Amino acid sequence: MILSQEKLLGLLQKYPPEKQHTLAVFQDIQQECGYLPKEHIIEAAQYLKTPLSQAYAMATFYRSFSLTPRGKYVIKVCDGTACHIKNIHEMRDTLARILDIDAGNTDKDGLFTLETVSCLGACSIAPVMQINDEYFGSLTVEKIYDILAKFYEVESYEKERSEV
Amino acid sequence: MQIVIDGKSCNAAPGQSLLEVARHNGIDIPSLCHHEGLPGRGCCRLCIVETEDANAKDANGTANAEDANGTANAKDANGTADAEDANGTADAEDTNGVADASPKRSLVISCVYPVHDSMTVYTKSEKVIRLRRTLLALLIEHAPDAEGALPAYCLEYGVTGYHGLLNIRKDEKCILCGLCVRACEELGNSAIQITRRGVDKIVAPPFDEPPQDCIGCAACARVCPTHAIDCLNDDERRTIWDKTFPLVKCAACGKPYATADELEWLKEKLLDTELNLAYCPKCRGRASRF
Ligand code: SF4
Ligand code: FES
Ligand code: FES
Repeated sequence: MILSQEKLLGLLQKYPPEKQHTLAVFQDIQQECGYLPKEHIIEAAQYLKTPLSQAYAMATFYRSFSLTPRGKYVIKVCDGTACHIKNIHEMRDTLARILDIDAGNTDKDGLFTLETVSCLGACSIAPVMQINDEYFGSLTVEKIYDILAKFYEVESYEKERSEV
Repeated sequence: MQIVIDGKSCNAAPGQSLLEVARHNGIDIPSLCHHEGLPGRGCCRLCIVETEDANAKDANGTANAEDANGTANAKDANGTADAEDANGTADAEDTNGVADASPKRSLVISCVYPVHDSMTVYTKSEKVIRLRRTLLALLIEHAPDAEGALPAYCLEYGVTGYHGLLNIRKDEKCILCGLCVRACEELGNSAIQITRRGVDKIVAPPFDEPPQDCIGCAACARVCPTHAIDCLNDDERRTIWDKTFPLVKCAACGKPYATADELEWLKEKLLDTELNLAYCPKCRGRASRF
């Protein structure tokens, strides 16, 4: 979702026009839009008096920023050591198969984005994944099916309701 | 101040880097990411050397040496003649300390290491050579297609390159030293940066598109130690970063010497100076002399 000129300006003007606020501004845009739209990066750089090259470098450096629209649900599969030895790759492959995408991509309905992260910081319940703000630990392949099924259920319910 | 590099006594001024002093005194230290006109960042580590620090040695010295210093100070307060005596003793003790405790050497990055008084430097010790070989092997692994200084150093150090250990494109030339980015920041218009991260890191303009901010000065391509940036010139045009610029010819000698965008940009930047931008730097110098 791209912000209106007004809304973007409102967001930018919360910060003084200085380079040091680039990260905070990008976090706000990411929060609002679900990604960093190109035109917003350009306008933010102008407002913050920062060379576009530096703003872009920052936008591409952090994992928490995305330059393409992400799905309604972002699945972060842990790729850390603890999860690795607990066979997280099986869960990842299962997710990839069900959603028909590789890690780093969004499915064709724009519903799920599949990503890997280096450690979710919840190693004690490895193997772990995170969907939006919710953690799912002690995963098994069966659990993956159950979890995804619930999300699809909610989705189709909401869809039906909106059609009525 | 005086420092000793590879046994040669060298003149040095405070604030100079070790690399600078060495080169000034005719001692070459290999370097990739260093350019004398740009701030050093110490990225490639190839300019690594070993140092021995007389002062540090004192501080770590034996109890005996410290004792002697203590004596010297005490006598100093008592009288000049005695103090001199004591100093003599202290020095003697000091040398003894050095003789039996082998002095501590440390590794430093000479392009960013500031010189200080009475240091001793080894630029070609066994350890340094071994480390440089490792560094070169890793660099060529990362940039198998590099041209210029990197393959030349590999040859010199007997590093036979590329084993395909890393998952890197075989035609990669860039070692990610960032020299081009620094050049663009200092001389150009900050049009490029090191973007992305980890194994995907590359030098690129925003959105991997022809950069709007680029003025075609080609400073990046000129400083690159591995010739990783394509810059094509003919008589009329320069193409760099997938952007093509018309070239401007010098009013005196007729050689193309800058892009139109670069001159536009200079005019804006140097508003009140009276540089005659119709001439190339050479002819401009000549013209001002008459
Ligand atoms: S393009 Fe050249 S100067 Fe720039 S980072 Fe790569 S090797 Fe260094
Ligand atoms: S390794 Fe997976 S949460 Fe830490
Ligand atoms: S020249 Fe690259 S680190 Fe010194």
